[in-house]
Amino acid sequence: MWTPARQTAVVGIGATEFSKDSGRTPMQLATEACLAACADAGLDPSSVDGMSLFSMERNHEIDVARNLGIPRLRFFSMVNHGGGGGCATVAMAAMAVHTGAADYVLAYRAFNERSWHRFGGGVQDHHQSPEANDVSFSWTSPFGLLTPAQWAGMFATRYMHQHGATSEDFGRITVADRRHAASNPAAFFHGRPITLEEHQASRIISDPLRLLDCCQESDGGVALLITGAERARGLDREPVWIAAAAQGIAEDQWMMRSYYRDDITGLPEMGVVAGQLWESSGLGPADIQTAMLYDHFTPLVLPQFEEFGFCAVGEAKDFIADGNIEIGGGLPVNTNGGQLGEAYIHGMNGIAEGVRQVRGTSVNQVDGAVNVLVTSGSGVPTSGLVLSGEGG
Amino acid sequence: MSDADAALDTALDAALQSLVGGQGSAEVATEPVGASEVSAWCAVMSEANPLFVDEAVAASGPHGGIVAPPATLNMWTMPVRIGRGSVGRDTDQPQQAAYQLLDDAGFTGVVATNSDQAYEGHLRPGDIVSTRTTLTGVSPQKQTALGTGHFVTTEVAYANQHGDPVGTLTFRIFKFRPGTGRQRGDEPVDDSPRPERPRPRWNQDQAWHWEGLRQHELRIQRFTGSGRLVHPPVVADPTTHDMAYDWVVASGRGFLYSWTAPEHPKVPAFDYPLVVGLVELEEGVRVVSNIVGVRPDQLEIGMPLEVCWLDSHDDVTLHQFRPTRPDRRTDTLVRDDVSVGDRLPPCPIDITTELVMSGALATFDHQDVHHDSEAARAKGLPDIIMNILTSSGLAARWLGDWAGDRAVFRNLRIGLGASNHPGDTMTMAGSVTDVGEGGAITVAFVGANSLGNHIHGSAELVLPEPR
Repeated sequence: MWTPARQTAVVGIGATEFSKDSGRTPMQLATEACLAACADAGLDPSSVDGMSLFSMERNHEIDVARNLGIPRLRFFSMVNHGGGGGCATVAMAAMAVHTGAADYVLAYRAFNERSWHRFGGGVQDHHQSPEANDVSFSWTSPFGLLTPAQWAGMFATRYMHQHGATSEDFGRITVADRRHAASNPAAFFHGRPITLEEHQASRIISDPLRLLDCCQESDGGVALLITGAERARGLDREPVWIAAAAQGIAEDQWMMRSYYRDDITGLPEMGVVAGQLWESSGLGPADIQTAMLYDHFTPLVLPQFEEFGFCAVGEAKDFIADGNIEIGGGLPVNTNGGQLGEAYIHGMNGIAEGVRQVRGTSVNQVDGAVNVLVTSGSGVPTSGLVLSGEGG
Repeated sequence: MSDADAALDTALDAALQSLVGGQGSAEVATEPVGASEVSAWCAVMSEANPLFVDEAVAASGPHGGIVAPPATLNMWTMPVRIGRGSVGRDTDQPQQAAYQLLDDAGFTGVVATNSDQAYEGHLRPGDIVSTRTTLTGVSPQKQTALGTGHFVTTEVAYANQHGDPVGTLTFRIFKFRPGTGRQRGDEPVDDSPRPERPRPRWNQDQAWHWEGLRQHELRIQRFTGSGRLVHPPVVADPTTHDMAYDWVVASGRGFLYSWTAPEHPKVPAFDYPLVVGLVELEEGVRVVSNIVGVRPDQLEIGMPLEVCWLDSHDDVTLHQFRPTRPDRRTDTLVRDDVSVGDRLPPCPIDITTELVMSGALATFDHQDVHHDSEAARAKGLPDIIMNILTSSGLAARWLGDWAGDRAVFRNLRIGLGASNHPGDTMTMAGSVTDVGEGGAITVAFVGANSLGNHIHGSAELVLPEPR
């Protein structure tokens, strides 16, 4: 338990618009998002003295700090493993402000992952050295398993076989996300809900994954500002408390290719996160009103419900049925539209939506949302958060 | 087309149509159905049904003695066995007269397209087979990928020396003008060298594994202290932290644990459909590998697989896995064992020069394209091609392996597509499409090679009463 419950808070959120072609550099997106987060909190950016990044972030803190005019940066860190590190940046920031290593920490992600380097392309042009990390791709790339969608497909087939889930069950995740995006003006797919039939008609990307099982690629940036309890109360916004934050790597962990475990239908690294979140927050699944679950590929959303105890192993397909994860259901999920519907900002936009739900300012507000679960990348070393309001 | 050409074509059509409906005189085999020929056929097809060769077993079997494999129906009266050499013409026969007219008009190319055998009785060693052939149809001129030509359909009735009918064959060939096919030159040709697959990288911690693959050994790391197997390799036993290891050579047998079939983006180094599987080896570890010789819709988790090899780069060999040849059933299926939709276990068949040549000879097909590669190339083929009787025999053997010795074939209907050339692999796959009265079932199947479907067809079998 490495972050004390409710002693640190998210006090500012900022974002650019989400698009397929920002027309600006990632550095400008990062700068805009960070300035917006500071403005949201009512904090002069020069007061920021910490930056918390996660890997694949190419806008390094030294460059962003030059743009923000930060005279003194006391804490900066980079969490490994891409999309799994989103919530971990908040965890690092919380640790830093709680220990006094920094007073105000910005966590951000900004990129042109659609108009510049496309993330969905995977490792086709990977330059490989004989270092262990590059060698790890030798067990898959020569066989044509090159993209994240393809890596996810291997899990999906086994999950379907073992738990009786179908492509339609995966599609229900997309239908829910797109329904929520449809009423979110900030979402790329604003006004464009889909039906399960449209999901089923979408083309195969890597059987059994269809196009509408895969999140979009986006241009955009999101930033979060974190500080300690005392400073939080001195800012413009009601603090959104970090009730718990945790990271997780489980046995025999690979990057989206953990194919050698006894069972490959679960996400044990997410289980490592779940156990810590529930223990340190003192909360459990029944205390959560809405969840922002990492949704780069729909088959990897289902086991998250199981790892966090919302349902038993193999029963996520039943849990998500009948609109239970849509607004008005038992556990509305990804009320911003998620990465399938709003934008793929490596999960940072999901954290921002969690903050809005606790503030009561979401466009798809869940009544009485005081405790919100947020997760980061699935199938990779990952992290998670519980955000809480005053009544949580 | 000039008026003169059109007039010639009209005249040819008229001449051909005048032959349709004609029936030739009986043709009689010069040699009886022979036990040694049946044995040779079974050896080529890997057919192990004792009812075809073992007098003692056959005596108590459903036919009361040895019978010839049904798929041999039309091989006993091939041209060399009715005194006409390999391709001799007897224009008293209406179909032969039609072939001659077409040859004379320049339609000298020929491919068989359909062979529908229906069985009414059984041939036994010593039987003398006779045939009556009716020319049942000649199509108008058609354009196909091979060229312009005519489909010629015959129906052949087979009888034994007592005049008892033993079966019929509906046979269709396509006679075409060589050189009139859709030319590949019409399409832009990409003659750039095919890109290589992503190259594996290794260091001294895994080099022994990749060296093994080059020697066609699938090596799995074994920690010598604990005996623990680990794949992909690590540097220390995760339990004991012992760093001393060697390897075991995997048997190469396993089963399909999971799979995905990437379709987008398509990478030029790979053939599609591409299947990447997670194979659980019988040693207990898993490997990621391509699954070859089987289409995505034929995959089933748990299906048995065996290793094969791909030289992907000058200095790299990759393991691949393909369906294991299914074991021959020892107990014949009964009606209650089978439901519509049941899949037959896929079966890869290596197409070797030996199989093509010995298959042609075992079925008395002496046409040069089945044994003479230079003659085949002179006819525009890249190499010798498998003959239809061998394809039929291999399909029948695979069906019989699945159904069991006592399943009785009612028919075997085959359409031919992409040729089987040496060096390729044909994978048989199919499913039950009908379960009828009296134990009659229908199976639809394909035999696919790297060029497409070599054969597609169906067979009706009668299964014995439930035990």
